[in-house]
Amino acid sequence: MMRGRFTRRGALLGLTAAVIGLGAGLRAEAAAEAASDSERIVTLGGTATEIVYALGAGARLVARDTTSNYPPEALSLPDVGYVRALSAEGVLSMAPDLILAEEGAGPPEVVALLRAADVDYIELPEGFSRDMTVKRIEMVGAVLGREAEAEALAGEVLATLDAAAEAAKAQAGDAPKRVLFVLSAQGGRIMAGGDETAAKAVIELAGGVNAVSGFSGYKPLTDEAVSLARPDVILMMDRGGDHDMAAKELLALPAFQPTPAAESGAVIRMDGLRLLGFGPRVGAAVRDLNHALYGG
Amino acid sequence: MVAATENGMILNGLRQSRARRAHLWLGLLLLGSCLASLAIGASGTSLWQGVWRALSGAEISQMERVILWDIRAPRTGLGLLVGAGLAVSGTVMQGLFRNPLADPGIVGVSSGAAFGAVSAIVLGGLLPVGIATVFGQYLVPVAACLGSWAAVSLLYVVATRGGQTSVATMLLAGIALGALAAAGMGLLIYMADDQQLRDITFWQLGSLGGASWAKLGAVAPLLILSVAAALGLGRALNALSLGEATALHLGIPVQRIKRLAVLTVAVATGAAVAMTGVIGFIGIVVPHLLRLATGPDHGPLLINAALLGAALLLWADVIARVVIGPAELPIGIVTALIGAPVFLWILLRSRGVMGL
Amino acid sequence: MSVEAREIDVEIGGRGLLRAVGLTARAGEVTAIVGPNGSGKTTLMRVLTGELRPDAGQVHLGGEPVGPEHAARMAQRRGVLPQASHLAFPFTVDEVVRIGLMSGLSAGDPALGARALAAVGLSGFGARRYQALSGGEQQRVQLARVLCQVWQPVRAGAANWLFLDEPVASLDIGHQLSIMQVARDYADGGGGVITVMHDLNLTAMFADRVLLLARGEVRAEGTPGEVLCDEVLSAAYGCRLRLNTPPVGAVPYLLPQAAGAGG
Repeated sequence: MMRGRFTRRGALLGLTAAVIGLGAGLRAEAAAEAASDSERIVTLGGTATEIVYALGAGARLVARDTTSNYPPEALSLPDVGYVRALSAEGVLSMAPDLILAEEGAGPPEVVALLRAADVDYIELPEGFSRDMTVKRIEMVGAVLGREAEAEALAGEVLATLDAAAEAAKAQAGDAPKRVLFVLSAQGGRIMAGGDETAAKAVIELAGGVNAVSGFSGYKPLTDEAVSLARPDVILMMDRGGDHDMAAKELLALPAFQPTPAAESGAVIRMDGLRLLGFGPRVGAAVRDLNHALYGG
Repeated sequence: MVAATENGMILNGLRQSRARRAHLWLGLLLLGSCLASLAIGASGTSLWQGVWRALSGAEISQMERVILWDIRAPRTGLGLLVGAGLAVSGTVMQGLFRNPLADPGIVGVSSGAAFGAVSAIVLGGLLPVGIATVFGQYLVPVAACLGSWAAVSLLYVVATRGGQTSVATMLLAGIALGALAAAGMGLLIYMADDQQLRDITFWQLGSLGGASWAKLGAVAPLLILSVAAALGLGRALNALSLGEATALHLGIPVQRIKRLAVLTVAVATGAAVAMTGVIGFIGIVVPHLLRLATGPDHGPLLINAALLGAALLLWADVIARVVIGPAELPIGIVTALIGAPVFLWILLRSRGVMGL
Repeated sequence: MSVEAREIDVEIGGRGLLRAVGLTARAGEVTAIVGPNGSGKTTLMRVLTGELRPDAGQVHLGGEPVGPEHAARMAQRRGVLPQASHLAFPFTVDEVVRIGLMSGLSAGDPALGARALAAVGLSGFGARRYQALSGGEQQRVQLARVLCQVWQPVRAGAANWLFLDEPVASLDIGHQLSIMQVARDYADGGGGVITVMHDLNLTAMFADRVLLLARGEVRAEGTPGEVLCDEVLSAAYGCRLRLNTPPVGAVPYLLPQAAGAGG
C-alpha cells in the first residue's frame, strides 16, 4: 500500500519535473560539435521534441519519450519510456545518431551509458525563463543545422512572450491575482507549486503572483496553509482524465472553502507541457493564462 | 519387513539424488539464462556476432561494445547476484523462522532496507565529508543493509518466543514494520529535494535497468559473501526445523547460528534492494518450488535456491526489457505477475502439509 | 562414567522450580525421574541436557561440565528426546533420522537409519512424510533420530547417553514395552539412560534407579523397590496409593508387567 502511494506520488512529481526542470545548468556547450546532418534522432523530454518539430525536423525523429505528447504526430513515434526511467538498450535499439535530452533525463547510470555509446548526446539545460527558452531553441537549431529557422522561431516566441507579458503587467496593475498551482489533489491532499518552479515563473509572467512561497519545488500543503494562501484562482494541469476531481469537487474541499477562488469558482486548467514546458508555445501559454486570469 | 525398509530407503535416496541432480540441471538452466540475458535485448545486437568478431580480431563497433559489454554484461551479473541473494535470503529466513511464509518482502525486511537506502540518499549529504568519502558508493548499500538488519532483528525478537515462531505474530509484526518503514520514508520524502526525489523514484520502481560495472562492483562483494555464508547453514537450518532446543542437543551453536542467519539475510536483502529496488516473490516462490520438487533438506536446497533464483530473475529481466520495448517494465511487476499466482497455487496445493 | 548433578536450583519468574536437587546416574543403568505433574521433572531434564543453565549448582557428564556453550561436544556424547517435537517443513522420516545421523559420530554408516527405524518398529516408514504420521509414530521417529546420533552405547571406552523425556507417553502398550526395551538394551550395552517417566509400572519394570520429585524437591532416590512404596508415593502424589493390591470388585485391570507372560 505504501509503495503504491509512494510510487504514484513520485511518478507524478517526476512527470511534472520532467516538463519543468529545476535549476539552470549551462553546461551543454557540446552542441556545436554535433553533426548537423543527423538523420536518426531520439528526443528525451517533451520540450525537446516540440522544438525539433517546430524547426521542421520532425521527420528526422525515430523515437521519443513518454512525456513528448505534442505535436500529435509525435505520438506515432516509438516510445522509449518515461524520461526518468529510461532503458539504455531501449534507447540505443532505435539506432539513433543523435540523442537530444533534457537535463533531467535519467537514471544517471543510463545517461552515462548513452554518453559512452557511439552516439551524439546533447543535453538541453533546464530553466524556466525567457533566456533559457531561447537558449534551448538555439541549441537545437545549431545541432540540427537549422540556425536560421531557430533564429526565426526564437524571435517569434520572444515576440509573443514579451507582448503577452507586457499586456499582463498592464492588466494586473497594482492588484495582481493570487494564483495557486495545484499539481495534484489526490485524496483531498493538495500538492502545490512553491518557489523555483516553472509554475511560479509562468504565473508571474502572466501577471499573477504565486499564492504560496517559503518552500521550493512541489510539496503537499496542509489545509490551513491552503486557506491562508487565499488564492483568487486555482491553476491545474489538464490531464483530461477521470483522475482529476471536477472543479466543483475541488473547491468543495474544506481547505478551499474560505478562499476567494471557491467563492468565484475560478479554476483554470491548461495542458501541462504547454503551460510549464517553456518551449515554443510558452508565449501563447502566458497569453492564454493571462486572459483566463483577467479576461481577454 | 526388510524389503519394505529397503524400498523406503531407495525412495528416499531418490529424493536425495534428485536434489543433487538438480544442481546440475539448475546450473545448466542458469548458464542458459545468462546467455539469454546477454543475447536478448531491445536492440537486436547479436551476442554471437559480437563475440565472434571480437575473437577473430575483426573490428567491433562502439555501439556493439557498449550494448554487449557495458549494458548487458553488468546487468546480467547484477541479475545473477541479486536473484541468488533474494532466493537464498528467503530460504534462510524460512529456516530461521521455521515458517514457509517468511520472506524478506512479505514481513517488512525489504521495507527496512528501502528505508535505509532512502535515508542514505536524503540524509547522506548531512554526513561529515570524511565519513561520506570512506563509504563512497557503498553508502546506500550499507545503509540498506543496516535497515534490513534492524528489521530482521526486531522481527525475531517480537515474533519468536521460546524458540518457536508464531505465524500470526510474525505476519502482524511484519505489517507493523512495513508501516513503520513507510512512515519513515514518507518523512524523508517530504525532506527530499527534487533531485533526490528523482533518485528515490527510480530506485523504488525495482529495476535492473541502472546496472553498471560500478554498481555491480559495489554490491558484488556483499552479495557473494552473504550467499556463500548462507550455503554453509544447511545442516544448522535442518536441525533448527526441529526447534531450537533440539538443534542445541544436536550440537548446533544455536545463538551464533541465529545471529549469522539474521546477518546473512540482512546483508543479502539490503544489498539487493539498494541496487535494484524492491523485487518481490523470488524469495518465497523459489524455495517453495524446490521443496516440492526435491524436498526440504537445506543442504541442497540452498544451493538450488541460489541457482534457480538467479535464473528466474534473469528471465524476468529479459521479459521486462523486451515486452514493451524500446521502453522497459519495472522488473518488480514481472516477478509479481509470475510469482503471486505461483505462490497462491502452492498455498492451495500444500495447505495441509505446510501446517498453515 | 556418570551424570552428576549437585545442588541444582532453578527459579523462573520468582517461582522456585527446583530446589537443591541432586542426581547421580551411572552408565549401564536406566535412571528414571518420576513425580506428579509440575514437580519439575522436565525442568530437571533441561538442566541435565545443558539446555537450561541452573541458577545454582553444576552438572557434569562423564566428568565434563554441561551447558549450552558445549553443544557440539555434548552432541557426540548424548542424544535427547524431547516430550514433543514440531517439524517446520515436510521432511520424510528418513530425512528426520538423517538429521540425527549427521549430528553424531556414526555419520559414515548409511545403513544406520534403517536399523534405527527397525529398532523403534517403523521399518518401511522411511519414505513417508513425517507430518502425515500419527503422534505415536512421530515420537518413535524422533527416538530413531536420537538413537542414530549416539548409536553405540559405548564408544572408545566412554559411555554414551540417552536422555528421554516421557518417551512412551503417547504410545500404545505394545510400543511402550518395545521402546522401553530399547532403552533397557542401551543400558545393558553399557550406555547410560536417563528418562522422565509417567508410568510407575513401566518404571518399576525397566529402571535400575528412581528419583522421585515433588514440588521441585527430591523426595526419594534409590532402586524401584526402595522408592516405590505406599508412604512415599502417597505423600508425593497427594493421594492414597497402595502397591500390589488388586482392585476391589470386578473392575478389570491390566499391568504391563504381565505382557507376554504365558503368551
